Amino acid sequence: MLQIDNLKASIGDTEILRGVSLDIGAGEVHAIMGPNGSGKSTLAQVIAGHDDYRVTSGSVTFNGQNLLELEPEERAREGIFLGFQYPVEIPGVNNAYLLKAAVNAKRKHQGLAEIDAFEFLKLAKEKMALLGMDPKFLNRGVNEGFSGGEKKRNEILQMAMLEPRLAILDETDSGLDIDALRAVAEGVNALRSPDRAIVLVTHYQRLLDYVQPDHVHVLSAGRIVRSGDKSLALELEERGYDWVREAAIG
Amino acid sequence: MNSAALSFDALQEAVEKLPDGRLAASRRAALEHLRQHGLPTTRDEDWKYTDLSSLVDIGNQSIECDSDRSRSPELERQIESIKRSIEADWLVIANGLIDDRSVRAFDNANVSVSRLSDSDAELEYRAPLSDLNTALLHDGLHIHINANAGLKRPIGILFIDDATIAAGMSQARVEIAMADNSDASIIECHSSLGSARHYANSVVKLVLGSGARSNYVRIQERSQHHDQTGRLSVDVGRDSEFNHCAFDLGGGLIRNDLSIDIAKPGGRTAFDGLYLIGDRQHVDNHTRADHRVGPAESQQEYRGILTGHSRGVWNGKAIVHAGADGTDAAQANHNLLLSDKAEIDAKPELEIYADDVKCSHGTTIGQLDEAALFYLRTRGLSRHDAKQILTRAFAQAIVSKSPIDAIHGVLSEKIAARLGELMGGATM
Ligand SMILES: Nc1ncnc2c1ncn2[C@@H]1O[C@H](COP(=O)(O)OP(=O)(O)OP(=O)(O)O)[C@@H](O)[C@H]1O
Ligand SMILES: [Mg+2]
Repeated sequence: MLQIDNLKASIGDTEILRGVSLDIGAGEVHAIMGPNGSGKSTLAQVIAGHDDYRVTSGSVTFNGQNLLELEPEERAREGIFLGFQYPVEIPGVNNAYLLKAAVNAKRKHQGLAEIDAFEFLKLAKEKMALLGMDPKFLNRGVNEGFSGGEKKRNEILQMAMLEPRLAILDETDSGLDIDALRAVAEGVNALRSPDRAIVLVTHYQRLLDYVQPDHVHVLSAGRIVRSGDKSLALELEERGYDWVREAAIG
Repeated sequence: MNSAALSFDALQEAVEKLPDGRLAASRRAALEHLRQHGLPTTRDEDWKYTDLSSLVDIGNQSIECDSDRSRSPELERQIESIKRSIEADWLVIANGLIDDRSVRAFDNANVSVSRLSDSDAELEYRAPLSDLNTALLHDGLHIHINANAGLKRPIGILFIDDATIAAGMSQARVEIAMADNSDASIIECHSSLGSARHYANSVVKLVLGSGARSNYVRIQERSQHHDQTGRLSVDVGRDSEFNHCAFDLGGGLIRNDLSIDIAKPGGRTAFDGLYLIGDRQHVDNHTRADHRVGPAESQQEYRGILTGHSRGVWNGKAIVHAGADGTDAAQANHNLLLSDKAEIDAKPELEIYADDVKCSHGTTIGQLDEAALFYLRTRGLSRHDAKQILTRAFAQAIVSKSPIDAIHGVLSEKIAARLGELMGGATM
């Protein structure tokens, strides 16, 4: 589904991704771990199309399409969803309005009619109930004054409404209480299907207890230094990152 | 570019042609004042950025106020359409002439409406352009709201000018007296039509009695080749409340002066505004709050959105006079510049001569938040739509503050439509 080949990306003169290669197949769940500042969010943002980052070489292919040629909104409509590590507050833009506009942008791209207002509300409330979100959040400004955990739940709500083909969740599990973590994990598991893929960027085993990954990768200093199955995450939890870094150099 | 360009012979002649009566003495005094002081020029600090010389040209061409000009069907249609879109009891001043039908139809036991020519009071003419207004005034409206009256419907005052037949200049004058403990919503609406040039000069005075509350909205949506200078002066009564919101959505050259005079304690005033300025438009908002006694509040926030080759001016002055302890004055002005050819001069001015005061001001000039734009785009919204949404949200902050809830919907629609024009077509 998503092929990343020797991707290098810089911001200003600083190279942050220094040759990342990754192959994510339909139906798979991948976890990306790695120390702070290793480039995990950068990778996620480059896939979503942030133009602060300059791709200097390599390729990213999504279902056979050159992703790097597409605008961020085109990538979204093709089914890529990024759950932000730091969701942006947008005062004055109604949460329900954004959700609906996002759903309709995708439907339009698929040649479908706009979603019926009643149906939209029903669906949104259903998803919110699953995530343990008060329907009042629909009428607030997007992430405006939301607590850290509320923002993350809101990201998952958007994901649940948009049903993306590829979801990249950048530390969506950070800052969540135990109930929220379970709710988010259930949201992710509900999305799992043979024709979808999920990438979890995380620092913790906790989320991976709920959402079992097929593959685990370690990103360090802009490169993937080790890949394995879910046992790699457990090993990291025990031994820290130095061990992989040393192994990579050695 | 200064008063020299104003033709006083023509003015004198025009003043003499106006109907004789109780206003005649004020007119002559105002003309004399104008002759001595002239119109403001860009050498005056308060008029540094707004040059009236092009207005003087229109004025000289059409000083006379011809009272028998018949009204075009287009004008009638526009008046009807405005009245229909905003729920209020309307009074209409068209081309500077009071619309008698609207006065006769005005029916509210708690409000009396009369002509200024029916009263003996001398008209105030000493503020800039008030002299021009008084000298050439055909007639004005006096609105009195009874003590303790709480009006259910807003009073709408429509200032409309028709330049379909010829270029013109018009003077409009309204005085509103709200007696003690009265409560009323007032909507000032400025509109125009026609492709010839026009310059409208309005002066409105609002006097609030003790404990009175006025919720006041001004909507300016003149067509692009029509200019306006408008003054609103407010005398704030003891423990009274003035909540004001202004929307400048149209016009060519626009200058608004809002003066708030606080000479009795306990007043709470909030005056906010929004200006949307597009190509070849110039919108200047000057506000001034005189705190002569305390405690009293003046809180203001103006926001502007500028596109194309446009110019905006915001100048907010608060003067806290000696002894006005307990004053709380805050000024904020935020601007969104959507074009590199747009220009804004934003200036807060605080003059404080009292000790125990709370004053603050803040001004920002910026572009749309790139992080928010990117976030919206990752949700599938086009860059164009994302920009529109963020811009509307920026404007909506003022709409939500606007004190007459019933017109929030109409205002949002007008703003969305205007932003659609300014930002190149609405697609959502
Ligand atoms: N706009 C920027 N300007 C300069 N440096 C940047 C910028 N954005 C990212 N970086 C740098 O790039 C590196 C990678 O950052 P990134 O956010 O991708 O790390 P991360 O792996 O997601 O870290 P964390 O686990 O803390 O979220 C960091 O050293 C960061 O400081
Ligand atoms: Mg990160």
